[in-house]
Amino acid sequence: MIRIAVFLFAGVAGALLPALLGSPLLLTLLTQAVINAILATGVGFLVRQNGLVSFGHAGFFGLGAYIVAVSTTNEWMPIGAALLVAILAPTLLALLLGAAMLRLAGVAFSMLTLAVAQAFYELAMRWRSLANGDDGIAAQLPGRILGLDSSLFQQAGSMFVICWIVLMLVLFGLSVLIAIPFGTLTLAIRENEERARFIGYHTILPRAAIYALSAAIAALAGVLFALYNGFVTPNVLYWGLSGEALVMAVVGGTRAVWGPALGALLFFLLKNAAGDLTEHWPAIIGGTLILVTVLLPRGASGTIALLMQRMGVRTA
Amino acid sequence: MKLNRRHLLAGATLIAASRPGLGRAAKDPIRIGVPTALTGPYADLGNQVKRATDFAVDAANEAGGIDGRQVEVRYLDTEGRADLAREQGEKLALSGYNLLMSTIASGEGLAIGPQLQRWNAIYISTVNKADDITGKACNRRMFRVNHPDSSDVAVVQPWLKQQKQRKWAIQAGDTAWGHNSGMSFSNAAQADGRIVEVEQYSPFGTNDYAPYIQKIVDSGAEGLWVALAGRDAITFAQQARQFGLLDNVFTAGVSFIADNQVKTLGDAAKGIVGIINYSSTLDTPGNKAFVAAWQKKYPGTTPTNFEAEGYLGTEVLFQAVKKAGSVVPADVGRAMEGTTFATIFGDALLRKEDHQLMTPNFFGYVGIVDGVAKPIINMTVAADVAFPQPNGNCKLTG
Repeated sequence: MIRIAVFLFAGVAGALLPALLGSPLLLTLLTQAVINAILATGVGFLVRQNGLVSFGHAGFFGLGAYIVAVSTTNEWMPIGAALLVAILAPTLLALLLGAAMLRLAGVAFSMLTLAVAQAFYELAMRWRSLANGDDGIAAQLPGRILGLDSSLFQQAGSMFVICWIVLMLVLFGLSVLIAIPFGTLTLAIRENEERARFIGYHTILPRAAIYALSAAIAALAGVLFALYNGFVTPNVLYWGLSGEALVMAVVGGTRAVWGPALGALLFFLLKNAAGDLTEHWPAIIGGTLILVTVLLPRGASGTIALLMQRMGVRTA
Repeated sequence: MKLNRRHLLAGATLIAASRPGLGRAAKDPIRIGVPTALTGPYADLGNQVKRATDFAVDAANEAGGIDGRQVEVRYLDTEGRADLAREQGEKLALSGYNLLMSTIASGEGLAIGPQLQRWNAIYISTVNKADDITGKACNRRMFRVNHPDSSDVAVVQPWLKQQKQRKWAIQAGDTAWGHNSGMSFSNAAQADGRIVEVEQYSPFGTNDYAPYIQKIVDSGAEGLWVALAGRDAITFAQQARQFGLLDNVFTAGVSFIADNQVKTLGDAAKGIVGIINYSSTLDTPGNKAFVAAWQKKYPGTTPTNFEAEGYLGTEVLFQAVKKAGSVVPADVGRAMEGTTFATIFGDALLRKEDHQLMTPNFFGYVGIVDGVAKPIINMTVAADVAFPQPNGNCKLTG
């Protein structure tokens, strides 16, 4: 009950934000930040539950975005079906890839995730007749999407509320998942896979399911990105975005499911503030990452959780 | 006598009445947003656009503004990337700089176009060449003052008829404009009975052109059409010269013999021919005044084609603001449609059907003037020939 109340409160508080913020620029930045927060949540959840680092989640993010853009532009299917396929196809792909790649440990797995995402990037760059190469492709959205006026998905005020609610639902779902036996099992596998197998559990399928779930979350973020921006370029598939998502997860900390989302919000706001100050903003981001890693090894969420623990408050 | 609020108010009214203009509210400034490539392979082009815009803005403000309005400009770097152009364009528009101009890559302009209504902005292309800008991707808030690919083709066709080379190769960038130009040249060549042996597109920012050059050599092509710009054009030309390609294969192109590229290449560019969209030697009163003012501000230089095109965008914008009596983007846009503007090319109509400014176009070669390699015009195509009819794909939505 407390969990539901917390998420309800956070959901309502966030939904009220557009009414309090006058600046359309700030609202659009926050909307982009929340979309990134959903992506980072997927990446962070993989680290938390599987202990694995993905350098290729941009692949699932971009795939979701491209499926929306390409299928609406070519009128392949109704928008509702396009949105469903845009989430299901990357999820299924991740499940199959996971079943094969999760047999490899550590760096080898990370490199394979990178290779798969880069393959999709190259495909988007070179398959010009389908994806329009480096120039990107505009999504031709219909007038109504899932019964709502499509302009709601393209205006910062309404889209922020939509994305915020989606983020809250994702975080709520994940917080439930980690509390049930399946969540405990995947943590046990992460800690000692051999022992889990020895006591009779299949270890590949649960880990592949976590990988697929994290891919689904990334694809969901990609779908929201395509709906909001109405335009997709191969950079949404590029490893740079995967790296950024990982940095967000590290800054926010992965011990709490909401940590990467917090990291994404901090990262996005810092990036934009630094970008306004200097062209060399990546140096500021790099410096911040070093500071966070050295001074706050548990990330922002870990530090907050520690402080709350000292004050006697329990966190998820 | 004790001073009270009524006395102070009366005093303030008297002072205001004695100072003309002080009592009136100042007009809103003209806020120009320029999301352009300040770094990356197109940085040279972006910085030329920036220099020209600064020149125009400074000149306008020194002359007391445009229609009593001060002009402000803000630049954000796009690296020539479509996704960054959309991001930076949004930042500029939503922070009040909603009269947008001058991205470099066509993909950037095409990414900005669909967002203009949502941002309450307009966009004036001064460099983007893809036909889609004023074709199937056109909209009420997007305008172009520079020459599109279709205008360059109108220049190429009569030129190509005079050439003896039968077998051709095409080397273009893997971008909207590169493909547009490659396809147009290929169609023009085949319509004239020529054979296109190789048609290849290199990724934006390619550093090693050796495989492409080798393929051109192996094809036995007698002529080469190049559609590359910025650092890509320079890298390709330098490597092509090293491989002996430029000595053995007749080379022509678009944006390939732009002023700065020729300056950088020096003797390596000598003999190359191509489309020249602007020359500082243009004999119009507007251009003479522009070049004289430019040389006063930047002694020892003449404006390049990209600088002139950037300046041309501000000329059109300032006159449209004056005509509209407003800086509201939709008002300025309406004032542009079907209007004839006084420009460096002479009087030019901005066509209302597809929002394209009609100016003459040119063909020329790289020659040596006062010991320096420069593009020299040897063929002029009038505006009505260079822009035969509005782009039929343009429906002007939004």
